[in-house]
Amino acid sequence: MVVRPYNDELKYLEKVSDHCWRIKKGFQPNMNVEGCFYVNSRLERLMLEELKNSCRPGAVGGFLPGVKQIANVAALPGIVGRSIGLPDIHSGYGFAIGNMAAFDMNDPLSVVSPGGVGFDINCGVRLLRTNLYEKDVQPVKEQLAQSLFDHIPVGVGSKGIIPMNARDLEEALEMGMDWSLREGYVWAEDKEHCEEYGRMLNADPAKVSMRAKKRGLPQLGTLGAGNHYAEIQVVDEIYDKWSASKMGIEEKGQVVVMIHSGSRGFGHQVATDALVQMEKAMKRDKIETNDRQLACARINSVEGQDYLKAMAAAANFAWVNRSSMTFLTRQAFAKMFNTTPDDLDMHVIYDVSHNIAKVENHMVDGKERKLLVHRKGSTRAFPPHHPLIPVDYQLTGQPVLVGGTMGTCSYVLTGTEQGMQETFGSTCHGAGRALSRAKSRRNLDYKDVLDKLDQLGIAIRVASPKLVMEEAPESYKDVTDVVDTCHAAGISKKCIKMRPIAVIKG
Amino acid sequence: MEVEFSRENFLLPEMKYEYLDHTADVQIHGWGSSLKEAFEQCGVAMFGYMTELDYVSVEQCFEIDAHGDDLESLLFHFLDELLFLFSAEPYLVCKKLEITKFDVENFEICCRCYGEPFELGKHPQGTEVKAITYSAMQIVQDAEASNYEVFVIIDI
Repeated sequence: MVVRPYNDELKYLEKVSDHCWRIKKGFQPNMNVEGCFYVNSRLERLMLEELKNSCRPGAVGGFLPGVKQIANVAALPGIVGRSIGLPDIHSGYGFAIGNMAAFDMNDPLSVVSPGGVGFDINCGVRLLRTNLYEKDVQPVKEQLAQSLFDHIPVGVGSKGIIPMNARDLEEALEMGMDWSLREGYVWAEDKEHCEEYGRMLNADPAKVSMRAKKRGLPQLGTLGAGNHYAEIQVVDEIYDKWSASKMGIEEKGQVVVMIHSGSRGFGHQVATDALVQMEKAMKRDKIETNDRQLACARINSVEGQDYLKAMAAAANFAWVNRSSMTFLTRQAFAKMFNTTPDDLDMHVIYDVSHNIAKVENHMVDGKERKLLVHRKGSTRAFPPHHPLIPVDYQLTGQPVLVGGTMGTCSYVLTGTEQGMQETFGSTCHGAGRALSRAKSRRNLDYKDVLDKLDQLGIAIRVASPKLVMEEAPESYKDVTDVVDTCHAAGISKKCIKMRPIAVIKG
Repeated sequence: MEVEFSRENFLLPEMKYEYLDHTADVQIHGWGSSLKEAFEQCGVAMFGYMTELDYVSVEQCFEIDAHGDDLESLLFHFLDELLFLFSAEPYLVCKKLEITKFDVENFEICCRCYGEPFELGKHPQGTEVKAITYSAMQIVQDAEASNYEVFVIIDI
């Protein structure tokens, strides 16, 4: 890493508009393209502070600031356009979380990097609507939260309750949501409102290690821990009435359910296995990167292809996982209100993936090119009329689901043409951490956090008490700042705001 | 693989680890008077993050092997094996680790892992460990002061 005094570092950064900064070549060695990041004034301060802290002379240990990580990604072979940081960016493994980068599929030197996808492959958000209103749910809020908590296995060491054997798993890995549909866990319409229709076709379970399968099998249909959650939310504001109505959201007070989860231990192991393989491939192919954590392999190499096939299987696992929890959520609601999920109109509004790599066509310098787009902590946000979004959203643009943190708002945005041009159709994914977990535990008190949630009228069920502090809103950047920045920069458009009334967490 | 163990003279090691700050993840710092001990401590620390070890009793013993190409990858694979022991059959939470073979020339470890299967209701749920990382991994060896330390960031 290049170490310069903070003021010299700043010479490589240029504010090009109220919401966008440019990272010039030379900020880190061998940058093939420039970098950029989107922030408003408050997030800008956080971003630059992180950089400043890393410039302290004589500092040991520590970690690379997000802005340096964006620049290191810009130095990877085959990258096109820019390495882009979204407003919720924070330091991560290799790639920052909230970083997207696209690589030219026709350049034989182009790479795929598991660090650009993340350990939790196809971590994502699903939103279910209901025809209930806040007044229907408030009287039974606590019971409903408890019922969801009883239905959905959460937290460390919990096991799935969807019956599953090794052969079922193989099929699920290959078929994704088609498996869930065949087994009767989801509705046919659910698939339509899901990226890739809930199934990546290039998935190959044979490219997945036994170890990953063994870790995955008991965890299918579990929520997980950390920042994953299921939330009952109420529509708090509608910014775009017409688009909202296309999603079945008619007015304020309507109740929706948000599920945030990923591919569990299965995906984590696929990523770990690939990183080990790629370290070897990098030595063989003499691929040099600025950071050992940016392990990668040429897209066309055996390791690159194997990773993409295993990643696709993990993506399918994640969709089956979210689908299983959709099933359990529908059951919990139906029991509580003594009716059927159908009569509650519990349709999937949309399901997004915010840790994934996909082959997409984009315009680069006026020409259409086939790219491998890495989105890590970044959500696809395709504009109206894009062929890959479902017919229901052809005129609105793709719904983008942005989850807040425990006790804060969440948002639905829609994709824009400007986002397609500036960020390869990508936007933010959530709030993004601001405080470390250990600091949160030291500075925040368990009881204070719970009291505050109680005052806000939010029911909470959480498996691990220490998670309450770690995941408190104070530990995160303000999701409203993040979303407002994306809206103001034009890379996506605000549509609906929701506030939570019940949270279920690991 | 499950192995027999004797409860006679069974002692629990003292705690020589701590958890350090990292924005999204957690850094484990383990130490000891030998590198072997620092590795053992680091492994126990990982289990201590998943649950509270005070609630864990030693009922079973499993043996694992780990291999690497250098010291860092040996530590990585050692922890990855332990994580796997917890994540699939036998779902073991370990309270004590005893490295019986510590070969730093061929980078091989054999380790006896003492604990019991994780059980909801009995063991409090801590934080889930997704993966081991090489991020800012440090292995400090000071033979003169017989001070050995390891630093590992685990992804959570």
